[in-house]
Amino acid sequence: MDTRLAGKLRPRSRIAETAAATRLVLRRNDSVAVAGLVLVGYLTAFLWAVGDLSVRPDMPAGLLIVDDPLWRVFDRTGPATFEAIAIVDTGVARLLFSPGNLLLGGFVAGLVGLNLAMSYLAVVQPAACGLGTGSGLLASMPALLAGTVCCGPVVLLVLGIQASGLLLTMFTWLLPLGIGLLFVSLIYVAGKIDVSGSAHG
Amino acid sequence: MERTPTGDRRRRRQVLGGIGAVGITALAGCLEGSGMPAGSTDEEVDDDDAADVNDGPPTVERSIPEAYSIDRLNEESMSGGPGPDGIPSIDDPRFTAADDPPANLDGGDPVFGVEFDGEAKAYPQYILVWHEIVNDVVGDESVAVTYCPLTGTAQGFYRGASEFGVSGRLINSNLVMFDRGTDSWWPQMLPVGISGPHEGAYLEEFQVIWTTWDRWRDQYPETTVLTEETGHARDYGSDPYGEYNPPSGYYDNERTLFPPLASDDRFPRKEVVIGARNADGAMAVPKDALRERTVIEGTVDGTPYATVYDEALDTGYVYRNPDDTSVEPDGDTFLVDGETHAPDALPLDREIGFDAMWFAWYGYYPSTEVHE
Repeated sequence: MDTRLAGKLRPRSRIAETAAATRLVLRRNDSVAVAGLVLVGYLTAFLWAVGDLSVRPDMPAGLLIVDDPLWRVFDRTGPATFEAIAIVDTGVARLLFSPGNLLLGGFVAGLVGLNLAMSYLAVVQPAACGLGTGSGLLASMPALLAGTVCCGPVVLLVLGIQASGLLLTMFTWLLPLGIGLLFVSLIYVAGKIDVSGSAHG
Repeated sequence: MERTPTGDRRRRRQVLGGIGAVGITALAGCLEGSGMPAGSTDEEVDDDDAADVNDGPPTVERSIPEAYSIDRLNEESMSGGPGPDGIPSIDDPRFTAADDPPANLDGGDPVFGVEFDGEAKAYPQYILVWHEIVNDVVGDESVAVTYCPLTGTAQGFYRGASEFGVSGRLINSNLVMFDRGTDSWWPQMLPVGISGPHEGAYLEEFQVIWTTWDRWRDQYPETTVLTEETGHARDYGSDPYGEYNPPSGYYDNERTLFPPLASDDRFPRKEVVIGARNADGAMAVPKDALRERTVIEGTVDGTPYATVYDEALDTGYVYRNPDDTSVEPDGDTFLVDGETHAPDALPLDREIGFDAMWFAWYGYYPSTEVHE
């Protein structure tokens, strides 16, 4: 890496800042609550968007497991979606239990939760004055990118957009792009937090 | 996952009960129909007797309108999202009797009916929307009942020892199948091989009837019906595209996922037409017009055709009528040269016809004649 560029980006320092900010998020009850709420909310929306979660009060409570579930865990149903191996009916909601979708959704939801929890800390414990809530919005765009890709081109039907070859190619890159941007946003927001501040109880 | 021509026999475990009440139930086996498929057309050139799975499906010599070269069709092939088998076909279908239908099957829900020498089977649309292909065995015949939600087409094909799978690609918004024997790819509506060893060959079709469960059961009380025991975990009862009972969402609006190969605004895009094609050309009859008039006549490349309405099943049958024989409605039946006949048994050559959304039919067959 170019020395001047490296000096400007300060990669080691950025990683250390992000790690410290992450630890701070996990130490404080309020930021953990923000991260947890966002994680659960995003994961719920993610599972609903991929069709794994639905409201089905008409179905009695029950559990159905497909045959050879372990062999089918990694069967893909789309570029970034995986086969469900069980149906869980609670009497209110139906969950298609897909470990792959749950892991992927949980990972993205965790990143979004961490981003927004750091944005919260950047507001309540800023390293410098003048930081607004814009950093939280910064995290929401890649979160949307990472989330919509899992629905595949069918989301275009909802939006009323006709698919083209270019658009479909873009779809395959939205998830890695979204995850990458979430990391960039995380590093950016981490630098805006005063990690030396006292932890809340 | 390795698959066999007859499907891998999967057992499913179901734990049922409310909170604190748990039981394990092995799901029931299937009731297979029997009988030989009837009503197929064209000369078979690749018989499936003693066929090997690696031979792929049987093919036939056909002459039907080809508006696009195979190269063009391949260029127009787009990913619908899932990869091959990402939408899993049903390879071990389980059936139940008509008096014990799946709980989610409403009387007004669409089913795809197949009748072979008195044996009848119904394939509910709400199950096939998640699978698109059922590799079934009826009597001695191995067949595939296929459905494409985006074009509203249900068609039947002989499959020999092979099986069909969903490629995940779409042309003209229409399902592209592949056979697991040769990995040849087949657009459903055409249905010509566009790649692989069977490139340029045609599949052999049989008639599938798009109707409702109540209507099918009334006509075929001994029918069996496909169950939700497909071996896959899907949210049966919800449809990712919309609803048919009553129509809503994709099935009832003007949106298409992909631009059609050709467009025509004589009808709304999702208007249902009954389409048929053979060496004479292609023709389409709007289903609403057929319901109203019960007999619709027209010509294809100068040859007369008559399409008659079957109110019991809310479907239509297309007949080639080269002598321009008189066909008149007579209650639920039809008078042909003064003789009374059931709508599905006129003394004329019946063509295979199937329901399709107008945009999809015209997109593939822009030279189509419209009879209304």
